[in-house]
Amino acid sequence: MRQTKSTTFGKFMERFLKYAFLTILALFFLFPLVFMFVSSVKNNEMQVVSDMSNIRGFIPYGDLGFQNYLDVFTRMNFGRFMFNSVFITVTTVVLGMIFNSMLAFALARLRFKGQHFIVSLIISLMIIPIESVVIPMLLMVNKVGWIDSYQVQIVPFIAEPFFIYLFYQFFIGIPRDFDEAAVVDGASPATIYYRIIVPLSRPVFASVAILQSIFRWNEFLWPLMVTRGETYRPLTVAMQQFFSQDPKLWGDIFAFASMITLPLLILFLFFQKWFIRSVASSGIKG
Amino acid sequence: MKKLLCILLAVAFLAPLFAGGKQEAAAGGPVTIKVWFHSGKGEEREVLNAQIKEFNTMQNEVKVEAVMLPEGSYNEQVSAAALAGDLPDLLDFDGPYVYNYAWSGHLIPLDKYISADLKSDLLPSIVAQGTYGGKIYALGTFDSGLAIWGNKAYLKKAGIRIPKGIQDPWDFNEFNTALKKLQALDEVKYAIDFKMNYGQGEWYTYGFSPIVQSFGGDLIDRSDYQSAEGVLNGPESVAAMKWFQSLFKEGYSNVKPAGDDDFYGKKIAALSYVGHWMWTPHSKALGNDLVLLPMPKFGKKVVTGMGSWCWGITSQAKHPDAAWKFLSYLMQPSQILFMTNANGAVPSRKSALARSKLYGKGGPLEIFADQLKAGLGMPRPITPAYPTITTAFAEAVQNIVTGADVKTELDKAVKKIDQDIKDNKGYPLPK
Amino acid sequence: MKSDISNASSSVSMKMQRRREALTAWLFSAPSLLLLLFFLIIPFIMAFVLSLTDQRMIPNPNLPTEFIGLRNYIRLFGEETFYRAILNNFIFAAIVVPLQTSFALILAMLINQKLKMINLYRTIYFSPVVVTMVVVAVVWSNLFNPTEGFINQFLKFISFGRIQPIGWLQDTHWAFPAIMILSIWQGVGFQMVIFLAGLQDIPAELYEAARVDGASKWQQFRFVTLPQLRNTTIFVVITTTILAFKLFTQVWVLTKGGPQNATMTTIVFLYRQGFRQLRVGYASTIAVVFFLIVLTISLFQRVFLKEEGGR
Repeated sequence: MRQTKSTTFGKFMERFLKYAFLTILALFFLFPLVFMFVSSVKNNEMQVVSDMSNIRGFIPYGDLGFQNYLDVFTRMNFGRFMFNSVFITVTTVVLGMIFNSMLAFALARLRFKGQHFIVSLIISLMIIPIESVVIPMLLMVNKVGWIDSYQVQIVPFIAEPFFIYLFYQFFIGIPRDFDEAAVVDGASPATIYYRIIVPLSRPVFASVAILQSIFRWNEFLWPLMVTRGETYRPLTVAMQQFFSQDPKLWGDIFAFASMITLPLLILFLFFQKWFIRSVASSGIKG
Repeated sequence: MKKLLCILLAVAFLAPLFAGGKQEAAAGGPVTIKVWFHSGKGEEREVLNAQIKEFNTMQNEVKVEAVMLPEGSYNEQVSAAALAGDLPDLLDFDGPYVYNYAWSGHLIPLDKYISADLKSDLLPSIVAQGTYGGKIYALGTFDSGLAIWGNKAYLKKAGIRIPKGIQDPWDFNEFNTALKKLQALDEVKYAIDFKMNYGQGEWYTYGFSPIVQSFGGDLIDRSDYQSAEGVLNGPESVAAMKWFQSLFKEGYSNVKPAGDDDFYGKKIAALSYVGHWMWTPHSKALGNDLVLLPMPKFGKKVVTGMGSWCWGITSQAKHPDAAWKFLSYLMQPSQILFMTNANGAVPSRKSALARSKLYGKGGPLEIFADQLKAGLGMPRPITPAYPTITTAFAEAVQNIVTGADVKTELDKAVKKIDQDIKDNKGYPLPK
Repeated sequence: MKSDISNASSSVSMKMQRRREALTAWLFSAPSLLLLLFFLIIPFIMAFVLSLTDQRMIPNPNLPTEFIGLRNYIRLFGEETFYRAILNNFIFAAIVVPLQTSFALILAMLINQKLKMINLYRTIYFSPVVVTMVVVAVVWSNLFNPTEGFINQFLKFISFGRIQPIGWLQDTHWAFPAIMILSIWQGVGFQMVIFLAGLQDIPAELYEAARVDGASKWQQFRFVTLPQLRNTTIFVVITTTILAFKLFTQVWVLTKGGPQNATMTTIVFLYRQGFRQLRVGYASTIAVVFFLIVLTISLFQRVFLKEEGGR
């Protein structure tokens, strides 16, 4: 009798400690985001500034409301920039998943001359940072008259060595028996790719979707170089408008920041369960 | 392969030049000009949009098509456009960055457009800022003013003389004594706020090179703009920066203020070394306690910062005359006042200045105007090497205020500046 | 005789099949390869050519770009700031890669428990990953504020006032650690998810077998979890290393490489030379040298961390 009591108590304590630990960590990850959001709903600009540098920045008090959000909408064409960012990101990610996985499939599952060379090439291309090639790239896209357009922000980023490598790693881990059986049934490589590899690789597709969305959504330097007016300007460039003037309107900055963070957070919320669960359910052993 | 690459590169670099020379057939109806401007303050943007609208409706020869680019990255965007060869007809530049464009032939001289009347009505600082190689390449509708704002209550409590105008500024000793007395007050944590929260960047050069110049130093030898040796690292400049460093070391100023408002919000700073643009927040928060003090005479002479955004017409412009038509509209005294009443900057023409509530006779910001009219404003170095100079100097300032050896840092800056000038063959003037 | 013919015909059909396979492979590869060629390989080769010139950002027709041989390279290798930048990249990688990788693994194991609301915690831990780096940097710069910033206030509170305020982004000793803390905070969630996927991939039978053998929790971790996560770990280490070397945005927003080059990194240096000082040729030189250095490192990593199941 006593024993059961102590074990239930022990279990309770263990559980309590676990949650306490998880929560402390959660606070560590959350506090800057709370700070951002809380500051964004303070209507009084003076209060935002004086609270920003201390603990009061985390406490919603005073005149609260969505004035800063309204300001962002009235001060700029926010809807347009949001559409641009969403359109560019979605198009790049969808095309990127198709093209990158196709190349990875060829490298991982088919045999052809030069494939080893291409694999090494892809791995070394992963290293090149965008900052080092923007200027030559700018000269090239300028030649074809792509300055200030959607395609200039989409096409160069569809193929991405890092994602090709991710797909490649994953495809190589899929047991060969699957497609050998299909080959015996007379399936062509395209059928194997489409019917076998893609369905088995949902987790890697989900990871690439999330990662490429993050990368594209946050791209700043390139759109800065190649967009001119507001028509094709993405959110990251539009945000610069707030950093230019002193004194800075921090309330508006945090409202803007909250609004550009939200879509990706929602995207992750939708994808995460699906992609982590599909790892477990796909039955692939490493 | 190599040949192919060379051709590829050559085509890529040279093509824009040819493309720029293309002329559009003059058709009937209004000519359209493309205008770029930085979208900074909300008020500036609104005024300019209103001006463009008015200009487009009041005449039907020129149609202005404007594009706003975010200021935070404006320089990068304009240089990318210059590299790509698709600059618009008319655009604005952040003061000293204009020289690089003038030097490389991306701008046309405006002298033939500027009448003698206009020229004599302009602030001397505006002419100085726009002139490169003897020709005027840029005109601004407003200028900026740099001085010291004070909290009158603190100054009185500490028993410090408040100068009346530019005729009786503090000298070096008076300034140092004032700092000491202010620092001793209980309410005051820092005697002076140098706006270090703006961070390493243009502010450092704009704000602190006047101190160096007041001591008798400078950023570069202005006789021929070929070297900074012995000037930026000369004894005067070193003395200036050593003194500046000591203000932070001894706690008179904060290297990293907690926010923007040490002076006007928290009121823990007694003085604020900053420009005219802080008028609204300062006057709102301090009211009658706010006093504007002229730039002190740190050393041999009084020097203040100056310069602001200014307009230039590009050599790629298909219709430079049309572009000038719009620019001269912006330069009308009434339009200048329209803009400066909104953004609070110093009007660039004396006739507009006289009619300004803020800067005119008896206005609260008259000191800024007086400083500029008296020619105390020294333009930042008029050379295409400016981007290198400002980066090198700002880096040196950052390191110096955080405790690095002054002479070593200035020597490093000089080396960078001189090397850049040498690499570009002394930046020969365009023929 | 008969078998010979059938052999020959089967080898012909084999060849046919091989050729068809190769053709399909090239068709599959072509779109991505062409895109890589145009938007990465050719620009990089152009960058190499530019590195041998004095190309300016704002070209001047009166002073055309000249080939200057190896001058940029010679100058780069004589530049103190460059060595500092490379050294900082190495320090950053040496500290952040192991820290972040182990932290990510710990988080993944915590999240891999069967507890109520665990999904919520997982989302929270991941959430910094989706925040734009510019936003992250702006928020943290306020938290790092020396006098009143939350972090110093917090340290003061938990140490009963014994910890003196730290000038996080101004102090040459603390600026880089501050950047590291922020980078780990922002990046660890991503590796956590990768490790989590790896953990969920480990068959439950392995743990059961270990328990039957009387293995302690630590032994289970040491002899089941770690070896099973080998490939995942290698992947995480390699990608984190590459990202560590590309370190740029947070530094640019927060310190621009200062104070006194304490946070200078190679890409910050490159950006400053190319876009601020408008020296495209010199910036390209930095890009080429940077590429060679990181390539060497990742080759070494690959040799030392030979993956299992690879080719």
